[in-house]
Amino acid sequence: MIFKSHLFSMILYAAFVCVVLALIRKDERKAQIKYALSLFVLMVFGAIIFGWFMYLFV
Amino acid sequence: METNTKALQSLALGWLIPGLGHVSLKKYWRGGIFFGCITAMLILGLFMGGKIYSYQEEGLHLKLIFKNMTENPLTFLATLSDLGYGFIYILSKLFSFGLGNLKNTTFEFGTTYIAGAGLLNYLVALDAFDIALGKKK
Repeated sequence: MIFKSHLFSMILYAAFVCVVLALIRKDERKAQIKYALSLFVLMVFGAIIFGWFMYLFV
Repeated sequence: METNTKALQSLALGWLIPGLGHVSLKKYWRGGIFFGCITAMLILGLFMGGKIYSYQEEGLHLKLIFKNMTENPLTFLATLSDLGYGFIYILSKLFSFGLGNLKNTTFEFGTTYIAGAGLLNYLVALDAFDIALGKKK
């Protein structure tokens, strides 16, 4: 059993998805990097914010 | 006509093995990165004890497919996403791996990694299809 940390698993998952989507959506290298980074930040911080939001209903 | 055949061929190859559609179109780097990312997600998902879902009914009649969709909609959707990485899905059914280990705390994450890999591979195969048709670079 690996990756007991859910946060680390989520960050790694987001990294893989961002790389693949950036290569699909953009053609230029610079645009790919910009798209991948912005998507990564959006996914990771979005998940953390949504996690805290759900904590309100515990 | 030849372009359509090439596009369908790259779509099928891309579905069968992640990135192979791009490699067939001489996009070696892109194909290699797709293969690396999607295969890594799949292997990590399997090591986490994730499950590769399969079709629940005996037979592929419309009535049975509809029954499966309505009785287990989430399982049906998970099966569709797992079908995304063609060859490994077939291997998993032949050699019975990816059965899932519910005791693992990482079971849900593993299953998500596996389903995510399948869904991404659909997009990658369709990307190869678009490139072959000349709609994309």
